[in-house]
Formats: sequence, C-alpha cells, structure tokens
Amino acid sequence: MRRLSNFKRTQYFGLLRAGLTGASVVAIAIGYSKPTHAVASEEQSASSISRQVKEIFERSAKAVVKIHAIDPHGELCGTGFFVDPTGTLYTAYSVGGEADNFTVEFNGRKFPAHQVVTDIRSGLAMLTIDNATPALPIGKSDELEVATPVVTIGFPLDLGETPNFGMIAGFDHKFLGRYFSTTHLRVNATTQRGEAGAPLLNLKGEVVGIIVSSLENGSSCYAVPIEAAEKIRSDFVRFGEVRHGWIGANVTEAPARVEGSRAEITEISTTPPANDSGLRAGDILLQVGKVKVREPEDVLDASFFLTAGDVIPITVARGGEKLTFDIQADTHPAVKNVPIQDGTQLPASATLKFNRAIPLSLQSSPQRTP
Amino acid sequence: MDEFNDNEIAKLLRLKRYEQPPPGYFENFLHEFHRRQRDELLRQPLWRICLDRAHDFMVGLNLPAVTSHPAAVAAVLVCAAVISLKVYRTPAPGGPVAEDRPALTGQTRQVFVAPGPSADAEWTLASPVATRFFNASSLRHPTESAFTHTSAMPPRYVLDSVPVSYETTFKF
Repeated sequence: MRRLSNFKRTQYFGLLRAGLTGASVVAIAIGYSKPTHAVASEEQSASSISRQVKEIFERSAKAVVKIHAIDPHGELCGTGFFVDPTGTLYTAYSVGGEADNFTVEFNGRKFPAHQVVTDIRSGLAMLTIDNATPALPIGKSDELEVATPVVTIGFPLDLGETPNFGMIAGFDHKFLGRYFSTTHLRVNATTQRGEAGAPLLNLKGEVVGIIVSSLENGSSCYAVPIEAAEKIRSDFVRFGEVRHGWIGANVTEAPARVEGSRAEITEISTTPPANDSGLRAGDILLQVGKVKVREPEDVLDASFFLTAGDVIPITVARGGEKLTFDIQADTHPAVKNVPIQDGTQLPASATLKFNRAIPLSLQSSPQRTP
Repeated sequence: MDEFNDNEIAKLLRLKRYEQPPPGYFENFLHEFHRRQRDELLRQPLWRICLDRAHDFMVGLNLPAVTSHPAAVAAVLVCAAVISLKVYRTPAPGGPVAEDRPALTGQTRQVFVAPGPSADAEWTLASPVATRFFNASSLRHPTESAFTHTSAMPPRYVLDSVPVSYETTFKF
C-alpha cells in the first residue's frame, strides 16, 4: 500500500508539472500574440495612409511636370510643379538656373517654357509657360514637425511620374560644416536623379518644400521650405527681381542666454544701414522682422527673408531692457558689388541682372557666368 | 623474227637472266621517270605548252554544254566586267603621298589623301601608321563637334548630391 501510495504521489506530481508547463506555454503564447482588434487597427491605419498617399498623388500629379532644358553640357531633365493657373512653375536651380531652351511636358504635350527668375542663394528657379494650368496649393512648412509624413512626386531618370512616401527627418541649418542660406527640410524619402525640383507635399496635398538635393545614396534628401520660394516669387512680383536684404551686423554665440537668446551682435558695419541704426556690439539679438532669434543659426533665416528696401523691426536686449529699431534693409553686398574677371567691380544697378549667377560666398563656389 | 631462231632467243634469255640493274635503280626509278618526262615536255616551246593546257582545260569543262545556257554565260560575262572595272579603279599600292597637303599641326604631317582633282578638299588626320583613306564627306567638321556632342549625349537627370550652400558666417 505504501509503495502504491508513493507511485500515485509521483504520478500526481508529474501530471501537475506537465499541466503547469502547458499552462505557461499557453499564457506566453497568448501574451505575445496581438489581439485581433489591434491587428485590424494596424491594417486599417496602413490602408488609410496608403489611401491618403494615393489620393494626394492622383490629385497633385497633374500639376507636376517634367522639364527638359539645354545647358552648355548638354540636355538635362528635372522636375517642376505649377503654383498658379497662369503657368508659373517652381523648380530647382540645378534644373532651371543656368540652362535655356526649356520644354515642359504637361498633360501629355510639350510646351516651350521660359525662365522668369532664378536665385542661387536658395537654389530655386521659376519658369512659366503660356497656357492655363492646374496648380498645387501652397502649405506652411512651419507646421511640419519631425516624423511628419510627407509625399513627393517626381520624374526619376526617364521614367514616368513617381510618388514617394517619407517623413520629415529634421530641420537643418548646415550640412558637413557648410551653412544653408535658410533652414532646409531633411526628408527621409528615397530620391533619384531627375527629381530635383519635385514638390514636397504634406498629407493635405499642399506644397511645403521643393527637393533640391539628395543625401547619401539617395536614401534621403533636402528640400527648401516653400516659404523661401514664395519669398523669391514675392520679390519678383514686387520688383521684377530678387532683392536680398542686408543690415550689416555680425552675430556670434553669447556666453550666456539673455531673454532666451544666445545670439550676440559682435560687430556693426561702418556703412549704412547698420552704422546709424542704433544697434551696438554686445546687443543680444531677439527678433529680426517676424523671425525670433534664439541661436546664432536663426540669423540665417532672418537674413534670408530680408528684402532690400523694406523697413525691418529688429529687437535686441541691452542692459536688461528690450529695444526695437526700425531699419531699412540695403541690398546684400554680394549683389551690390560683384567682382568680375578683370578685377573691376560693377555697381549694384548694373549687376541686378546678374543676380541669379552670383554665389554669396566666393570661397567654395565654382565660378559661374550668366 | 627471221633473224633470230628459237635457239638464239633462248640463249639470249639465259644470258639476260644474270643481268642486274645498278644499285639504287628501282629506288630512283619514279624520280627519273618524271625528270625525263619534264625534259621531254620542255623541249616544246612555251606557247605550245600553254595551248595544250588550255585545250585540255576547255575539253575538261565541256564548253559546248556550258554555252547552251545563255543566262549563265551572260552572268559570267557581267561578273567579269564588274571585277575588271573594280580592278581598274583600285589605286595602285604605294600610291602618291601628298606631302604638300595642309596639315593641322606638326604632329599630323603624314596626311594621306586620295589622288585626283578633288584631293584638295579631302584630308584626314590619320595616324602615321594608317594607310587607309577615309572619305572626308563622312568626317565631322571640328567646329561642329560641340553641337553634335550635345545631340548625341543622353540627357542628364538632375539631382544635386549636396545642397546649395553659400553662407559661411552669421551675418545679416
């Protein structure tokens, strides 16, 4: 009886152990498996994004065009898009900046196009065709955040219109030690040759940027904010040319933050408009026009959106108080005095037509001739 | 046969039984036979030899049967005419080298041109070892090279590898 009792006890514990192991496996399996409603939700979300991208592509693709042009090196192809119904289109400077004999493929036909204005400082160009066209709505790049989904539509290589989906990866002031003229949108979307000038669209189908360059193997790209293009367009509408403004102050990083800003004015030009503006070295720059300044890099955006001739309110912190000076911006010195090959310089009035061909820094740019 | 009776013949045959040709006779027999044959042929004049060979050739062709096909004969005649014309027009090897022709540089002194009145308008930048003449009409004029270059090149699909950037300091 005792032996029988031991056998039953052993069998009982064996069964108990097997039962516990089985229950554990089942519990783990249930724990790792997703609920049915979660899977359905993910599928629904992916389907929703796919549907949105498809809708944006179908709605916007008709305003995206392929641009052919001829430059001294031969024929080139890029992308552009219409921004108003009279045939005005934006593209990258590398496509429309230094070429001619433009042809735009639109609506299954080819139209001759001509250059309206170009700006190498932003890397953009504006062309036009003599035809009624669809147009993409203009959005606000200020509303973008990191990880905001975006769509691009371009013409890679000799292929047809191609949508692409990605997200905002960052807002960069510089790349490999070189500062941009204005903040660039870094986009995690693959790009290929031929897509320079392609529109960057938010999920409302509004243009928020223009693709100007690729990054490492085309896995991501840089886009100029659409506000920069609108500034160029606004200047052209107002003056018939691009007018980059200039105050004449040098900014560096302050040792301490004052009123939330670390941008300290270190040098004031001895020429107008800075010399009699009221600004002083040592002032902490707080705001230039509508652009709030917190870091020295913010001066890039502030400078880019200055227009020569406009009166700009500039707010600084000095001795514990805020001071605002209204200063009329002058023409940017890189436009005002353009060195030419024989060593002489042309006055600003004579060089305005060369605006598109003037790099603002002569240290690292190739020599360009209009 | 009257001069020799059977006994004499039998006697001669007995004597000949022991006669032997000189050493190497059989080894050189064929060679000697051909040599003598050639010598016999060469006694005739050359024109006779050629005539005999042509006669043998024509007989071998069965010429009467060939001439019964006028189309074949006509074709043969046309081919012969074309070939003879080609041969007539081909410049002689080692033809005239026009050293007084204008050359672009000193390194292109050896300029080969075709003979004839149109040679002044035709020149080619052949390498010193080149001996073939290329018709100048198929050459591209140097001043046209840029245009033909652009039209022949595939288009460049544009996308900069780095952004355009020209700001170096924080000035405004």
